[in-house]
Amino acid sequence: MPEKKDELLNASTKTDSNYWRSFEDLYKSAGSIEAKHHEFKDGVTEDFDPKKLSNFSRRKFLALLGASAALAGTGCNNYPDRGEIIPYNKKPEEITLGVANYYASTASCEHSCGVLIKTREGRPIKIDGNPDHPVSKGKMCTQAQASILDLYNPERIKKPLKLSSSGIRGEISWGNVDKEIIQLLNNSSGKQVAVITKKIVSPTEKKLLDEFAQKYNAKIYSYELFNEDVRNRAWKKSYGSGLYPKIKWNEARVIVALESDFLGKEGNRVENARLFAEGRDVDDIKNFNRLYVVEGNMSLTGINADYRLRLRPDAQHEFTSALLEAVNGSLSSLNSFAKTYDLNTGKLKALVNDLKQNRGKAIVYAGSTLPEAVHLTVNAINNALSADALFNPQTEIEHHPLATADEFNSLVKSMNSGMVAAVIHYDSNPVYHLSQDIGYKTALKKVPAVISLTGTNNETAAVSSYTLPINHTLEVWGDVQTRTGFISLQQPVIAPLFSTRQKEAILLTWLNGDAKGFKDTLYHEYLMNNWQNSLFSSTPNFNKFWVNALHDGVVVTNETSTASFAFNVLPVPTVRPIVANSYVVALKSSYSIVDGSYADNGWLQELPHPVSKITWDNYAAISHITAKELGVENDDIIDIQIGNSKLSIPVFLQPGSSEKTITIELGYGRENAGAVGTGVGFNANVLMNSNGLSPWLYNASVVKGNGSYQLVTAQEHHVFDDEMTKDAAQKRGIIQEGTVEKYKQNPHFMKKEEHEKITMYGSQTNMEYPGLKWGMAIDLNKCLGCSDCVVACISENNIPVVGKDQVAKGREMHWLRIDRYYSGTEDEPKTSVQPMLCQHCDHAPCENVCPVVATTHSTDGLNQMIYNRCVGTRYCSNNCPYKVRRFNFFNYRDYFRDGYQEADVHNLIYNPEVTVRSRGVMEKCTFCIQRIMEARENATAQNRTVRGSDVKTACQEACPTTAIKFGDVNEKESEFAKFRNHELGYYVLEELNVRPNVTYITKLRNTHSEEA
Amino acid sequence: MNIDYTIEAPVVEGRLTIGEIEQLVAAPMETKPDKKFYIALSISGSFLLFGAVLLALSFYKGIGLWGNNQPVGWGFPIVNFVFWVGIGHAGTLISAVLFLLRQKWRTGIARFAEAMTIFAVICAGIFPIIHTGRPWLAGYLFPYTSQHGLWVNFSSPLVWDVFAVSTYLTVSFVFWYIGLIPDFAVMRDRTSTKIKKTIYSTFSLGWRHSHRNWQHYEKAYMLLAGFATPLVLSVHTIVSFDFAVSILPGWHSTIFPPYFVAGAIFSGFAMVVTVLVFVRKIFDLEHIITLNHLEKMNKVILATGMMVGYAYGMEFFIAWYSGVEVEQFVFVNRAFGPFAWAYWIMVSCNVLIPQLFWFKKIRRSVPVMLIIVIFVNVGMWFERFVITVTSLHRDFLPSSWGYFTPTIYDIGILLGSFGLFFTLVILFTKALPVVSISEVKAVAEGAQPSHGGTH
Repeated sequence: MPEKKDELLNASTKTDSNYWRSFEDLYKSAGSIEAKHHEFKDGVTEDFDPKKLSNFSRRKFLALLGASAALAGTGCNNYPDRGEIIPYNKKPEEITLGVANYYASTASCEHSCGVLIKTREGRPIKIDGNPDHPVSKGKMCTQAQASILDLYNPERIKKPLKLSSSGIRGEISWGNVDKEIIQLLNNSSGKQVAVITKKIVSPTEKKLLDEFAQKYNAKIYSYELFNEDVRNRAWKKSYGSGLYPKIKWNEARVIVALESDFLGKEGNRVENARLFAEGRDVDDIKNFNRLYVVEGNMSLTGINADYRLRLRPDAQHEFTSALLEAVNGSLSSLNSFAKTYDLNTGKLKALVNDLKQNRGKAIVYAGSTLPEAVHLTVNAINNALSADALFNPQTEIEHHPLATADEFNSLVKSMNSGMVAAVIHYDSNPVYHLSQDIGYKTALKKVPAVISLTGTNNETAAVSSYTLPINHTLEVWGDVQTRTGFISLQQPVIAPLFSTRQKEAILLTWLNGDAKGFKDTLYHEYLMNNWQNSLFSSTPNFNKFWVNALHDGVVVTNETSTASFAFNVLPVPTVRPIVANSYVVALKSSYSIVDGSYADNGWLQELPHPVSKITWDNYAAISHITAKELGVENDDIIDIQIGNSKLSIPVFLQPGSSEKTITIELGYGRENAGAVGTGVGFNANVLMNSNGLSPWLYNASVVKGNGSYQLVTAQEHHVFDDEMTKDAAQKRGIIQEGTVEKYKQNPHFMKKEEHEKITMYGSQTNMEYPGLKWGMAIDLNKCLGCSDCVVACISENNIPVVGKDQVAKGREMHWLRIDRYYSGTEDEPKTSVQPMLCQHCDHAPCENVCPVVATTHSTDGLNQMIYNRCVGTRYCSNNCPYKVRRFNFFNYRDYFRDGYQEADVHNLIYNPEVTVRSRGVMEKCTFCIQRIMEARENATAQNRTVRGSDVKTACQEACPTTAIKFGDVNEKESEFAKFRNHELGYYVLEELNVRPNVTYITKLRNTHSEEA
Repeated sequence: MNIDYTIEAPVVEGRLTIGEIEQLVAAPMETKPDKKFYIALSISGSFLLFGAVLLALSFYKGIGLWGNNQPVGWGFPIVNFVFWVGIGHAGTLISAVLFLLRQKWRTGIARFAEAMTIFAVICAGIFPIIHTGRPWLAGYLFPYTSQHGLWVNFSSPLVWDVFAVSTYLTVSFVFWYIGLIPDFAVMRDRTSTKIKKTIYSTFSLGWRHSHRNWQHYEKAYMLLAGFATPLVLSVHTIVSFDFAVSILPGWHSTIFPPYFVAGAIFSGFAMVVTVLVFVRKIFDLEHIITLNHLEKMNKVILATGMMVGYAYGMEFFIAWYSGVEVEQFVFVNRAFGPFAWAYWIMVSCNVLIPQLFWFKKIRRSVPVMLIIVIFVNVGMWFERFVITVTSLHRDFLPSSWGYFTPTIYDIGILLGSFGLFFTLVILFTKALPVVSISEVKAVAEGAQPSHGGTH
């Protein structure tokens, strides 16, 4: 015990005087006694004078030392991220850092796709499909995927705005807005309140709107720029009641699409594509379907046709009448029709024969933009073909009928006469969408209160007195019921980012009449009450049911529809011949931005058109002969006049267009669509009026206009130039195709030719892959070219938007692109599509030329990119025969629209598992390495090795037709191996011996044997 | 014509005495620069500045300011790089190869040609660095030891380039400097200003014109010439590997090394003639750099031009003979595709126009030869453009085909490199003897004992 010892020692020195330090001490000399009185030895203290010392105290010195060290440490460092990083103080139970959570919900796209929202640490980063959803079955449309970008749109309206008397929109609090509007609604004194909404798909929302309408004498007007109204009207006439049923495309053997893009736009295209592709299975070759398309412009459906006939849309009526006669036995009018329109009689004969021979398995489907008469005739044809066997009893539900043009006209009339107290734009944009001759915009000026509930600024909000910001779909509660048999739910996965409210809650607050009554759970409770009390009142344990429903995102009710298909034989409408020598204008919805609602979505604006590959614009698609007639070339402006409205728009010479047909996609030319969407393309909505052949089909006069306008494409157009470039993809074996007949006769027809090739390479390979080796297979029979995979890849891999000017230079960044090749003639082209991505070659030519080893090969067969090491020589890209490498010529996040993609909110969208690449770095498809790594971690945690089926790439997950397969090349028994080693499989540019790892399954065209 | 082949034509004309030679060559360094000098310098300096500003902007904003795009990953910078490396080759050929071959006539032009080599390689060396996406990381291209164990990729031709070009620059510079030592000593002895004297003394390394000095000098010079000679072949061979090693049709070709070397000498001689035509006039060196010199160089241009022409033809033949569709397409596309204009500029400038040098009159006519060699310079720049850009713009997959349009930045930086080259040339003419004094003295009439002939 040392302390004790010390104590003893001290005690002894003090008490025992026998201890001495020196002889002087011992003998107690005078000096020593004197010295004992001084603490310090002589001389030690003499010089010590505190006044002489520096007044720089020790404390001060230490303080300054500390301060300068701190200054050097903080001031001189260059750590770029000065943002706060705050860890969870108390970790939420369901969140593990670094592990994504998925929540089921429903997208607010036009198809109400069932989705799973991938969130990381509470932040939604990607939208995937919900496999439990009975219609979308784990897939979702382009817009549903891209809508996550809208959540992080930095230009979302962040606070309620009120237009002041001086014409400036200023911020106003929610409390005041509610107070003012409730007052206004209460004082409407018999005047009408109009609620303009888009199509209503939610039963609870419908209930709310009805209650609101009742309380405030409001009328609900719902509209959709593109709708199935004409088809449904014709259906009602032919079948008495109900709506046009859904089609069992998978059971159809012969499909005839008339000006109908059912694989690209019409109906629920995700479901259509899935069902259609089920009939395109090379392993079920006997049930391969055959698609005939008769159309005026090359559509996504048209490029997938086995037989395609060019016909101007206004001649469809005459055609269907002749077809009806032919199906009933008389070919004469069809033959004379073929003569007039220069159609191939061979193809027509095949069509008629196929229809007759496949009764009950054949269907004729008219496009929703065609006039009613065509639909009536088609209904008669389908009846003659017993096509009702293909009708799905699960019918669509119409919660509220769309307002007719007459209803809108009378609304405008009452607006003009001052009989409308308020107009509420319930997440709708009628100023942009409604046709000009209704005069909606001018009538709005007569309405005392114009209220717009909208997420972002738009044309209607710009002229509204109140602009109230609403939540994004990922921030709302809701339910959606589009068909009988199931109902799906929407749940918020993130708290509102800004001071926004969900649109239902705003209306509910006004309905309750209490401005202070708003709370976050307002609509949530309303929704639950509605479910508990009316929709699912018989459910015993509602809370448990509700939690399960939220978990699944969808409740399958299994109610059966009682719809019967009793055809009323009507006199076939008499054929109205086309106006001779006139031009016909067909207005279509956009593949990417639909009716313009997604115009501020950069991903969608930059997504190449699936057929023309044009981005960032719409255009007038015409045939080359019509172009010659008009004296125009690509990019030249034409002037279109319909009635009093005029439009000048650049032309694009679309191969396969019918003569004198001008096809224009709507949704462009928005005036108030933020930095991204404003002024992109041309507003062709102005051409719409109520005197067309249908709302989307007009006769017009067209002349050459002044000047030209640059349209940009993601793929050069050069194919029909001359012999040199013609059919190059076929000549080079990039596209290899066969026919169903040929395959039936000889399943190895692809490999047979192989034997004739002599290889100089031998079978040596530099590297063995004994363990797992990743590979991909793409079934070109199933790939329609819809580009859903491209958006999935953008979302998963943080791919930036580069803008029109950069696409024009050929610098788009998409890791995955859909190549489209034409072959044959410009009038009747055959089209082939091919998704192209990094082929992860075994002998990757990019790897050996990189001077700094920035691209290497992994032991599991992946071609890797090391961004940190890349200096950007671009040699790898030059040496890549597939040209799938993408170079950051700028810091695109900064470059595009002055740093739009660097805005604080926008940054939240990035997938934290994928590096955000900077300027000067090469990048490319990684086979979703982050997903592979995640699967490997999971496998390791489960003490097993990773299997090929553990990983699904983003593109594979998104593909509505499951054309993309991914897996382990060495796993011989897997589903993937079947495709990897398929007798129809081939590799692109195999002769280069780069040994690519993406197998393409030869496309088989289901033509008749005589044409094989 | 009666030519007496027994008499060697004098290398130096006008019966200049040794003193006169020294006087002539040293004159520009001993006089103050005149107005013309400043005008020339300000013109080339303006080009240099213009290029520098555009380059700085490219650094700041990114190389997206250039015309490079997705299929065409390499544009102007690589074209310029190959062009300038090629220009350099004439210098080494004249100073080293012709030295080993005992060609006396080289003495009049060797110094200048060598200087041009160094300046051209400096111009060339800039481009591989600035063309990268992240030029501040260009150091990654050098093999350096690092704790990460990172190493360069020795199978990449770009790494070979780094070694080839840096070796070339070093060897050329040392060779040039060694040759300059006796002249520095001459200048040291001639000058009286203190500053000049200090500078010349320092660089002349204590040269005393002694026999021992000369003995060492001759040996060193010979050795270095031996060093430099293989470089004439190797550097452009390796530069051609940048293309030949790839799998791209139009690049992937075994003819590239000899074809590139011939092209390099072709363009280098053209550039030397272009500049010397002016230099001999301005600095009164017509007796030292004679019409005979120019004519001999024109003959080399004619010969190498035809080699290049042969390569053009052979490329087409091999493409056809290979039976590979893509390969054939690339060459047909070169001649008749969207870049046909560039191809035909190249063929006419490089193959057709130099054919005029078959005529002696034209070979000896200064204005005509000046026009022809300028065409050759243009043609050789286009040759590199055609190889780089047309092969890339339409390769294997028709879906990724594109077009290349240069921007003002591309053109500006090219002009800037010319600005840099001529600025260095102009400064050189005033700072150092443009002709090797000692070597020319050695070949002047009467300097060497000879049999017969006139004395």
